[in-house]
Amino acid sequence: MAVLTSYGAYVPQYRAPLGEIQKFYGRPGRPRSRGLATPGLDEDTLTMAYEAARRALKGERGLGAVIVATQAPPFGLRKVSQTLANALRLDDGAVHMDLGANATGLLDAFRIAQTLDVGPTLVVATDHLVAYRDRVADVLSAGAAAAFVIDPRKKAEGIAELGPQARAAEEVFDVWMLGREQEPRFRLEVLFDAYAKATSAATAALEKATERPTGKYTAICPSQPHPQVLRGLAKLGAQPKQLENTQFIGDIGNVGAASSGLALCLGLDASRKGSTLLALAYGGGEAVAQEITVTKKPKSAGTREMIDAGEPIGVGTYYRWTEGRQQQPH
Amino acid sequence: MTVSAIEFSRLGPPKLHLYAMKCDKCGELSPWWERNHCYHCGNDSLTEFELKGTGELTNYTVVYYPPREFLGQEPYVVGHIQMDEGVNMPAPVMGVDPDAVEVGTRVDATLRRMKLGHEGDIYYSYKFVVDDE
Amino acid sequence: MKVGVLGIGKTPHKIQHDKSLKDLAVEAGRKAMNDAGVAPDDIQMLYVGNVGSVGFNYENSTGLMVAHHLGVVPAGAVRVEAACGTGAWALHLGCVAIASGLYDTVMVLGVEKMNDLATVEGTSIIAQAADSKEEYFSGLTFPSGTALTARKYMQTYGVTEEDLAHTSVKNHYYGARNPSAHLRFECTVDEVMKSAKVADPLKLYEVCPMTDAASALVLCRPEILEAQPKRPQVYITATSMGSGTWYQASDTLDDAYNLFARPVERAYEMAGITADDVDVAEIYNSFAIQEPLGIEGLGFAERGEGWKGAADGSTWLDGKVAINPSGGLLCKGHPLGATGSTQAVDVVEQLRGTAPEGMLRDDAEIGISACRGGPGSVGAIHIYQRMEG
Repeated sequence: MAVLTSYGAYVPQYRAPLGEIQKFYGRPGRPRSRGLATPGLDEDTLTMAYEAARRALKGERGLGAVIVATQAPPFGLRKVSQTLANALRLDDGAVHMDLGANATGLLDAFRIAQTLDVGPTLVVATDHLVAYRDRVADVLSAGAAAAFVIDPRKKAEGIAELGPQARAAEEVFDVWMLGREQEPRFRLEVLFDAYAKATSAATAALEKATERPTGKYTAICPSQPHPQVLRGLAKLGAQPKQLENTQFIGDIGNVGAASSGLALCLGLDASRKGSTLLALAYGGGEAVAQEITVTKKPKSAGTREMIDAGEPIGVGTYYRWTEGRQQQPH
Repeated sequence: MTVSAIEFSRLGPPKLHLYAMKCDKCGELSPWWERNHCYHCGNDSLTEFELKGTGELTNYTVVYYPPREFLGQEPYVVGHIQMDEGVNMPAPVMGVDPDAVEVGTRVDATLRRMKLGHEGDIYYSYKFVVDDE
Repeated sequence: MKVGVLGIGKTPHKIQHDKSLKDLAVEAGRKAMNDAGVAPDDIQMLYVGNVGSVGFNYENSTGLMVAHHLGVVPAGAVRVEAACGTGAWALHLGCVAIASGLYDTVMVLGVEKMNDLATVEGTSIIAQAADSKEEYFSGLTFPSGTALTARKYMQTYGVTEEDLAHTSVKNHYYGARNPSAHLRFECTVDEVMKSAKVADPLKLYEVCPMTDAASALVLCRPEILEAQPKRPQVYITATSMGSGTWYQASDTLDDAYNLFARPVERAYEMAGITADDVDVAEIYNSFAIQEPLGIEGLGFAERGEGWKGAADGSTWLDGKVAINPSGGLLCKGHPLGATGSTQAVDVVEQLRGTAPEGMLRDDAEIGISACRGGPGSVGAIHIYQRMEG
């Protein structure tokens, strides 16, 4: 039984004006996000991972493994986890693993952490999903990171137990990149269909595996609370109050691999001893669901406060900061 | 401006750690670049001394015309920080309104991208943010 | 010590896109040789001060290049570099060459061509005259590093930004009267205060421009100049150099003071004078705050009071000692390798009585040039005297 011993989140303070971007490109409709959390020019997925990790670790260094889940590493052919471990001054023997993944990466990392026997494992989901021009209105490009420390050996000191997982997957092209392209390709109609199918199937499978009805969790922490997802959950008995604390996309946008992490951090912040959380992540046709039971009321990581404390930036600044700038030598 | 990826391999990794140099003779701390020479007593051997990352801003300016690696981040605050361990170091303070900063503001270190060398090597090192605890 | 200043020459100090590094050096060198009445054959050693040709101009070995194009080959030639103190260092080596007795006539030449690259590139190259891989890696630049010194000065002595603004007003008054200066406009305290912020508290009118220029001096054994009584009898009577910290983080106000105070003590002794004897001084001021600090370091004012002379007139042309009657680096610009040699040329013009009207100190007999470099790393003092034959 793997135990969560601590966690932390990081949301960059800048908010890009999605409404203005949409207006500029003549896209109709209300923006689906009030603002997009935009990493500063001197930030990237590694620095955000560091921010979240140091909040989770609070100086702890005796870790056996670091797993980083991200779709936007600063380098190809180099591990983020290695540099992160170095910057955090973790012990030399720690194992470094990078998971290239979509929003399911965090729960994949949890599954791996549950089986490792190397001591405490730091799992970080960090991402900066970037789409350009008017496509930003569909992809809701934003950046953030969430970090969790999981120890398969600890029982007493933890704040939550990681329970069983269930998965459901289909081959679809909903959101993807060709190789290491700069921005994602997508077919929204495929995506919305797949949301509904995969998340319902995974959640139903989790019900069977845990014998806990979906409607009985204290909170549901979905990576993407799209109406299609919510409809499927409602069919399984989910109630609106289970989702009232864990939503953030309308505030800061879609943060890719970090989405499930932020939802879970929000769920943990609002929880107390005995709370049960349903972590639900979707990506690339696959959905993963996991039962998490809170065993000790955690000290809040201040996730909601970080989400609310946004500083607006202009459209020009947003594009100057995100469009290829970080790839130019300086 | 970096010279090469080789130089990065030499200079880059130490920048991932926040440390000062402690004199083997007088025990005083000097900034991380004083590897050869203790500024206080002239001794020539010093050892790396890890820093916690917290300190106080003792002086600062606001830069409006940045060097290349800071282009796009101006205006930014850069100043001298007296680390709690007792060494004075230069560093930028990010994410803060220049008008809200003053001498005595407490700051905390965090990892940031500093620059992209022209061989595509990314230097990471430490900048500071206002300590809100 | 007594080293004869046989000839001087300088190019205009401004952006000169039509002239290369070589063109500027040759222009200044020839002017100096013509002024001295010597031919290239007479030059026995050439010291060329240049800081950034590798970065600004993609060329190196400036001394060798200038030697060829000035025609002083086969005399020895070398490039001298000591950050912004380079020109003064070339001058020092020229003085030492003469004073050693090994050479009769040498040339000292400073040259810098900074404007082929964009400003932001240029700034990064200038930053290499500090530890750009360590301290300046952290976002400090020369302007922002000096801004930290300005703030320390203001806090320690209770001086305001308006107090400091008078320095720019004075420099610009004389810059407007200097035909070879880069910036030639007057300004008021109000205009200085309203000028664009560069690095708080430094404002645009308190920082120097990037300039293309060259300046040169022909130095000789004193007997050679004494034997030509029709020539102005100006001699260098002291040359004193020192170093200081390479890091802004270690540069205290005491260090800033000592950077000049230590070498100037030796210089005054060498020249047999005191601070009171000085009529005119060219003090390095690429940033305005460096002028009050330099005034104090040279002994012209008490610590914390060096800024007052610009406000009360005592450092203006007819004051107790004229400080930067050329308009200083604030108006002449700071062509890195040439600044120190230009200061020398300007002091000599004051002592000769040939400086342009409006910036010429009446009957100046003793002058001093004080140059500095790096974050606090070079202090260079020269004393000049007009001697009746």
